[in-house]
Amino acid sequence: MKIRTYRRVTHAVIYVLLAILVVYCLFPFAWMMISSLKPIDEIRMRVPTFTIHRPTLDNFVNVLVEHNFTTYIRNSLVVSLAACALSLAISLLSGYVFSRFYRRRAVKYTNFFMLVSQMIPGVLLLVPLYITMRKLGILESKISLILAYTTFVIPLCTFMLSSAYDSIPASLEEAAVLDGCGRLETLRRVILPIMVPSIVSVGLYAFINAWNEFMFGYVFISQDANRTITPAIMLFKGANSINWGGLMAASVIAVLPVALIFLFLQRYFMSGLMSGAVKG
Amino acid sequence: MATGREVRAGAVSRRRSDTRFAWSAMAPAWVFLVALIGYPLVLVVLDAFSHVNLIKPTVGGFAGLDNFAQVVSDPHFPAAVGHTLVWTVGSVVGEYAVGLGSALLLNRPVRGRGAFRALTFIPWLVPIIVAGMTWSWMLNPDFGIVNSLLVKGGLVDRPINFLGDATWAMPTVIFVNVWRSFPFYTISFLAALQAVPEELYEAAQIDGASPWRRFRYVTFPDLRSVSLIIVFIHVIWTSVNFDFIWVMTQGGPNYATITLPILIYRYAMQQFDVGMASALSTLMLIGTSLVFVVYYRYRRKLSEEILG
Repeated sequence: MKIRTYRRVTHAVIYVLLAILVVYCLFPFAWMMISSLKPIDEIRMRVPTFTIHRPTLDNFVNVLVEHNFTTYIRNSLVVSLAACALSLAISLLSGYVFSRFYRRRAVKYTNFFMLVSQMIPGVLLLVPLYITMRKLGILESKISLILAYTTFVIPLCTFMLSSAYDSIPASLEEAAVLDGCGRLETLRRVILPIMVPSIVSVGLYAFINAWNEFMFGYVFISQDANRTITPAIMLFKGANSINWGGLMAASVIAVLPVALIFLFLQRYFMSGLMSGAVKG
Repeated sequence: MATGREVRAGAVSRRRSDTRFAWSAMAPAWVFLVALIGYPLVLVVLDAFSHVNLIKPTVGGFAGLDNFAQVVSDPHFPAAVGHTLVWTVGSVVGEYAVGLGSALLLNRPVRGRGAFRALTFIPWLVPIIVAGMTWSWMLNPDFGIVNSLLVKGGLVDRPINFLGDATWAMPTVIFVNVWRSFPFYTISFLAALQAVPEELYEAAQIDGASPWRRFRYVTFPDLRSVSLIIVFIHVIWTSVNFDFIWVMTQGGPNYATITLPILIYRYAMQQFDVGMASALSTLMLIGTSLVFVVYYRYRRKLSEEILG
């Protein structure tokens, strides 16, 4: 009897703590949504309320139409999708070699180089990267961002995909190779189809990384035509220091795609990340 | 039937073709890493010893240690070093505590655990700029919800200007960073906790070990390895982070939150002095390498301890 009450109490405590945790994590989103739907006079109230008296989409219209955010979203999409595709293509190849030829010296060198390069933070390379991009004549273009974002995710993508390849028995491809299939052909026809869950989670990681990045977008692009969404929010704040409603609407727009994709695919994503985290 | 020699010759040629395949499949990765990490890395070290200016191409030549001397004698430099330390240690300690607590909580077998886990992970998906803006808005002294709740709850007499007040600015940016970064710890700890055998807990429980002792002697030993790696990664990620502080305070108010990455940005993009920016980057690279050495030694010690 005593043990049972004890259990029930611990159970209740756990749920209360979980509720606190969820509120802590999600309250800012709720407040962002609420604020983005409030008209300006409700935004600027001394005592803010949780309810919206006159909900409005004005903030969204303002941001999307008058402040060019449709362009920024399109740019962010193009850059993130390209960076995602490029880093997948590159790390599917390197990850395969990492998994199947792990004893080769070539792999050991590359592994070391990738580990080291993962430890070199972007901000320390900001200046030389800026100069390199200028020399290549691609500053102010989306290509500069695509290349930078791809480079910085290659190591982790390679590690995650190589652990995914590890779980596929080599006998599978040996049979195909004996049948006269080339290595790339085997990879494409036999292995990649089974790897779809891992590919999704790694691709998602590359996409989100590019979508969320701020510094390179802020420094490499100074013209409106190629600006991505994260620097755009920063500049929007600078130009309209009191338009919090618009700022929250822009934030909702920047978060929503990522949050939705994540909620739909979270099963893949969490397990992929967990295996990558343990391995790294 | 193939003779032994033929088999060996076949094996050698197969090995060669494998090697060729391995290198060519890794070539694209190498091209990217060499061109956009290796080459810039060399450039940063070279530029640290040269006079280089972004907008004045006539400036040039070997500078010796001039750039380093200039950086070190910058009146904001000592403060920036101190702030970087406070920012890094404060963030990592906070993230570790919240991450570990939430992982232990989310490891309990309760209904809806998967959903709780997914929701906890969401702050990490938010772009830093959005986290910064949303919290700036919530902490706003005039119309912010946090100040409103604090005043209404009687916790403070009048609104606190969290980001505009020099004493509050640093704790506030650390708090926001902890909010956004802790889920990575949570998920890493959860992955490691799955490796702790359930029987160990049961045995400890039957032996009458208190929850604290169960954590200390059963759970924690299995978290040491993952703790080491995520703390190491985050010490580096946090100390070099530019985005958070830039979007929330830009180093202000009155330089109260200026850190080394902010200084690098100011040298390069506001004063266009590439030499100075590179010198400071080089100093920070040396710093992160030292952190790596410390990590590596601990790692070896820990592996020896675990493997016996």
